[in-house]
Amino acid sequence: MRDLALGGGGLVILGSLGFKIFKSPDGKTIKAISVNFEKCAGCRTCEMACSAFNHREIIDGEEVFGLGNPNLSNIKVFHYNPDVDVPSTCAICPDPPCIEACVISPDLITGRKALYRDSETMVIKNDIERCIGCMQCAKACSTLRGGVIIPNPETHKPERMCQLCNGDPQCVKHCPFGALEYIEIADDRDLKNLAPSKIAEKLMEQWYNYNV
Amino acid sequence: MTVKGYYGRLLDINLTTGEIKKTQIPEEDIKRFIGGRGLGTKILWDKLPNPGIDPLSPENAILFMPGPFSGLPIPSSSRTCVVTKSPRTSAINRKFENGSTISYSNMGGFFGPEVRFAGYDGICVTGKAEKPVYIKIEDEKVEICDATKFWGMGTDELDKELINELGDRKFESCYIGPAGENLVPMACVLNTSARAAGRGGTGCVMGSKNLKAIAVKGTQMPKLGNHKKYLELLEKTRKSFKDDNNEGLKFWRYGGTANALTSSSQRGTQAVKNYSEGSFGDIEKIGTAANREQVWKRDFACFSCQLACKKSGIAKGSYSVMVHDGPEYETGTMMGANLLISDLAGLQKLIAVADDYGIDIISAGNAIGFLMEAYEKKLISKEYLDGIDLTWGNVEASLELLHKMCRREKIGDLACQGVKALAKDIGQGSEKFAIHVKGHELAAWNVPVNSDYWSICYATSNRGACHMNGGSPDRQDMAALRDSLAACSFAAGWYRDEISYANFLSAITGMEWSDDDFKKAGTRIFTLEKMFNYRDGFTRDDDNLPDKFYENKFTFGDFKGSIVDKKIFEKSLTDYYKLRGWDTETSKPSDEVLKELDLEFTIS
Repeated sequence: MRDLALGGGGLVILGSLGFKIFKSPDGKTIKAISVNFEKCAGCRTCEMACSAFNHREIIDGEEVFGLGNPNLSNIKVFHYNPDVDVPSTCAICPDPPCIEACVISPDLITGRKALYRDSETMVIKNDIERCIGCMQCAKACSTLRGGVIIPNPETHKPERMCQLCNGDPQCVKHCPFGALEYIEIADDRDLKNLAPSKIAEKLMEQWYNYNV
Repeated sequence: MTVKGYYGRLLDINLTTGEIKKTQIPEEDIKRFIGGRGLGTKILWDKLPNPGIDPLSPENAILFMPGPFSGLPIPSSSRTCVVTKSPRTSAINRKFENGSTISYSNMGGFFGPEVRFAGYDGICVTGKAEKPVYIKIEDEKVEICDATKFWGMGTDELDKELINELGDRKFESCYIGPAGENLVPMACVLNTSARAAGRGGTGCVMGSKNLKAIAVKGTQMPKLGNHKKYLELLEKTRKSFKDDNNEGLKFWRYGGTANALTSSSQRGTQAVKNYSEGSFGDIEKIGTAANREQVWKRDFACFSCQLACKKSGIAKGSYSVMVHDGPEYETGTMMGANLLISDLAGLQKLIAVADDYGIDIISAGNAIGFLMEAYEKKLISKEYLDGIDLTWGNVEASLELLHKMCRREKIGDLACQGVKALAKDIGQGSEKFAIHVKGHELAAWNVPVNSDYWSICYATSNRGACHMNGGSPDRQDMAALRDSLAACSFAAGWYRDEISYANFLSAITGMEWSDDDFKKAGTRIFTLEKMFNYRDGFTRDDDNLPDKFYENKFTFGDFKGSIVDKKIFEKSLTDYYKLRGWDTETSKPSDEVLKELDLEFTIS
């Protein structure tokens, strides 16, 4: 809670540049989306950009961006009263409780459970062939982290894990307020365990002296 | 089949029978009336085949209309227009006991886009529920739910409680406060407990149906006519906002419309002391800089908007207030300058209380200002005001009156009917300073300076006095178009050359919209509203200005001595009718004009 206690200053909850950068056992760093809550104005352009990228349309035989819909987006802006907007997205945790919770035994060759970390991009992926849709991953994420994983309404298998748009995250690219950054994440991130409602409570207290 | 970019579907709910229908919107209506305000007016016309219907009867319809831009991330273009028959207006020579104008009022936020995501181009509510209800929409699933526990709740608390009941923050909602429930004529519809479809009594009509709220979420989007062209235009628009050097953006983000508090005062165009003056000496105390320093903590934006003109914070001083929005220009002027109130925390308290009850602050500020003037002139006593010492600048007295208005207690019951009703009761020439047109109060832009523009703007607006109407046919038609597309007027300046509204609409529909077709649609929409009013008995006599503007000279500021010349106004009005092709004596649009605009169906 160190950043929050400062009051008024820049509040970057995910990732603090200059601190220890997380490295995986094979020396890779992880990049993810970092939110500056002080800058977010709650316009939800990120939701539209994310869902347009991830839900394509085929037009004249060509695959192009879709129109987007916030309820299909991997990043979600939660609005609270008093006015606080909390963009919430998969943190691509260095110690992902979702993978830890996955009940599928590791594959003997790849060592992967159904839910696994992609060795190239480091994002969390799900093998829907092996996944049984038990949603233990979602439970772990909502209990221990931001709670971003939800079941697909048709396949009932987990989704909404950030895939970083092939290295060019659309939410970061299109945020009009510069509230989102694509940066290497530190392993001492503050508030990484908090659900949006908890973050909102802290911000309400800090900005408006408001106690829930 | 429907027009591309639309679903062609209206969610049509009758609260008397509980019937929920999803009806097809005729393709021709979409092409001719576009969406939002325009399509809402056409649907209302069809729902009310006869004139003179009581706006608070179950027969009246209330429409919640997004536009074809709503739900697309076209910057600053996802507003929602609420359209209904007005409980605020009445004609001078009454043809019908309940004759009233059309009412339309639009709000920003996130409600309209969500209606589109759920798969509808609009929601229409008729009838009256037996007990308080709210409507819950999740794509195809639509329910009418019990709202008894929410009845009586202010909008701030409701905003928190409703989302708890729904159990999902992905719902967007709009609702009324106690003012709407109490059938206060000037009640409004809000979302996010601050963004209001403020004008024209929309909340009163919602209350008359026992409808507390509508909550919606959805997972769809329509198919566009020319998807690739749309993506190309969107990319260019985003770039144009970026290339703006941020000057325009900085202006909006810094102060929103509150920036106009000081500039309008300097130019003598502000409503001050019940419109007696155009400038306010203490304006700096409630202006943007003061708010930035003392109150505002955060800027908030509507759906896919880059301007972030909504300001939130906390006010301290004479009152301690959580601020969801404001002051912006209208609320700061009507509850501030117009009442000579310069106590910032007091002003914030008035705005917060009004938003919590859900009352139109423009009209409420007018009613309070009118009574202050009547009290100062000793036309009414302290007893008439139930013991309230309603002097200029008196925050506590204004608050007390505001509470009474929203609860309809004693003097409040009359005051909440508006200045026209108050003047009728008080008499003694007070109608001269009752600042309304057709029963609807004027907004925060004063008339005498730039009177050519403002007199026509207020006198000819179809919902009764309206500052967003525009002072010439061209501007009025363009405003009607913007309200029909769901675009925000604050961002209109960015939509020019290739990234014009017409080009976006062409890409969305796949139909070629020339500038002429586009302009004609605006004229058609405005003229249909006019015919709605004409049918209910409104004529040239109703396109007037309060006498105060012809008799009162400003005594203060750079524009001291400003006054409106009645003869010049009457001549401009005649010229205006000629430009529109309307009869200069009755104001009726000619049959030729109506036919040219495909409005034959309005010719009786």
